Amino acid sequence: MLKFKEITKIFKTDLTSQPFVALDNVSFEIPTGSMVGFLGANGAGKTTSIKIIMDFIRADQGALEFSSELGKNKNDILKKIGFLPERPYFYPNLTGHEFLHFLGGLSELKKSQIDQNILKWAPRFKIDHALNRQLKTYSKGMLQRIGFLSTIIHDPEFIILDEPLSGLDPIGRKELKDVIVDVHKSGKTVFFSSHIVSDIEEICDRVIFLQTGKMVYDGGVQSLLNTHEQKDYLVKVQGYGFTPSVKHQEYTRLAGNITTFKINQQDREVLLAEVLNKKVELIGLEFIKPSLEEIFYNIRSK
Amino acid sequence: MLAKLLLISLYTFKEIFKSKILYITLFIGIALMVMTYVATEFTYGTPDKVALDFGLGMLSLSSLGISLFLGATLLPNEINSRTVYMVISRPVPRWVFIIGKILGLIAILLINVLILSLMTLACSYLLGGEVNLVTIWAIVFNCLEAILLLLVVVFLSLFLNTTLATVVSLLILLLGHAIKETQETSFVKMRGYLNTVLEAYHLILPGFYKLNLKDFAIYQKTIETSYLVNAFLYGTFYSLFLLFLIIFIFNRKNID
Repeated sequence: MLKFKEITKIFKTDLTSQPFVALDNVSFEIPTGSMVGFLGANGAGKTTSIKIIMDFIRADQGALEFSSELGKNKNDILKKIGFLPERPYFYPNLTGHEFLHFLGGLSELKKSQIDQNILKWAPRFKIDHALNRQLKTYSKGMLQRIGFLSTIIHDPEFIILDEPLSGLDPIGRKELKDVIVDVHKSGKTVFFSSHIVSDIEEICDRVIFLQTGKMVYDGGVQSLLNTHEQKDYLVKVQGYGFTPSVKHQEYTRLAGNITTFKINQQDREVLLAEVLNKKVELIGLEFIKPSLEEIFYNIRSK
Repeated sequence: MLAKLLLISLYTFKEIFKSKILYITLFIGIALMVMTYVATEFTYGTPDKVALDFGLGMLSLSSLGISLFLGATLLPNEINSRTVYMVISRPVPRWVFIIGKILGLIAILLINVLILSLMTLACSYLLGGEVNLVTIWAIVFNCLEAILLLLVVVFLSLFLNTTLATVVSLLILLLGHAIKETQETSFVKMRGYLNTVLEAYHLILPGFYKLNLKDFAIYQKTIETSYLVNAFLYGTFYSLFLLFLIIFIFNRKNID
């Protein structure tokens, strides 16, 4: 769907300031039909990359390549892209209905098509009751939802979302994530940036990881997890008296009278044999799978 | 493209209209009527001229005020609130966006002028004055002046922050009105280099005085066609030139 090829962007705020390299030779690819998470801490270069993709700012070096299925010229490509900026403010005096008709009209939809799509999506976003109210009366969550509705009102093939879940409460996040997943399942390519790792782990099949303007990882979420898998186990036993002979980390939970040991995979059999021989009550054996969040923080701290 | 341009104009107009900015116009209109009524007590024989003078003055102040203050925030507000991204991420060229925004604001200006000019003409007529063509031309040229100022401030807002763009535009407006009389003072006439500087200023910055027909409307009641044509062409071409520059720069600007 998109190739971001060796892009460099340098900002210079004024004549006396030092140039700031926002993106340093960054390359990645967004395959058609994928759900790609764009991960990085604040200031990593995510929004700058998205602005370059949307042609709001121009790269100093590198090239951008959209696949031919989106179209041959900018006008055709933009017709098939849905974009939601980070923390958009919208036009406060327009009603929700007017706002959707405005943006739908700009995407070359007929009035009847816009009305149909509003009827289809507004109940799903739970804003159908508020469409005749001015946007300045909307809560932050409602603004985010109408923003997302406006992003998909023209049924785009490629959806780009900049921090779409920021500022939402847990229920709002869950609802919006469910819609993003549904839209992706209907065959759309979704590319969304976030600094919240768990959101990306939950719904994306690929992840692009930027750190201070440099590319750190571009690939499948699962393969990243597998690469950083430590193959450790947690063993839980009843009581406090048991001490295994193998190398371990020990945690004791006083309330449940349970002791927990963290061990390596190769020591698992030895420890289990010791537990059985000493007639210690085994409560559980659990494989420790590192989360994307842990990997993210590990990579950042290196 | 025309449909998109009109759509952007329409919703820009709606957004500003709903912000109740035109309440100020109505307030000015009521103030105009009250002031005209009060002034008739102190003027002997020329209350219609006083009404026309007050009316055209307020019309000019309000339309230039709208141009200055709404024009200075027209683009910066769009960029700061990221609403510009919602529009130009659609199949909308930047020039369509910018012309649409400016036309939407011009529509607000024209409504302001329409309301106040009707009130002015009504006051003048009720006090014994007559509606002549020069007054209508004065109103039309007031629109042209406000549009030119709007384009100056939008142009400056591409480089400067809102406050600076407003202040510099106001200075350009004041200088643009004062330059002709300044050139005619003996102080300048005696100093050739000063006259050269002012001539150079004339070539670059707009001479707003050319578009001010208030004195013709109130005192002279007649105006030469050649003056009208020249001033109209000057205002129109200067505005088109500024619009071209705005589009040229906005097309290349990093919207950050």
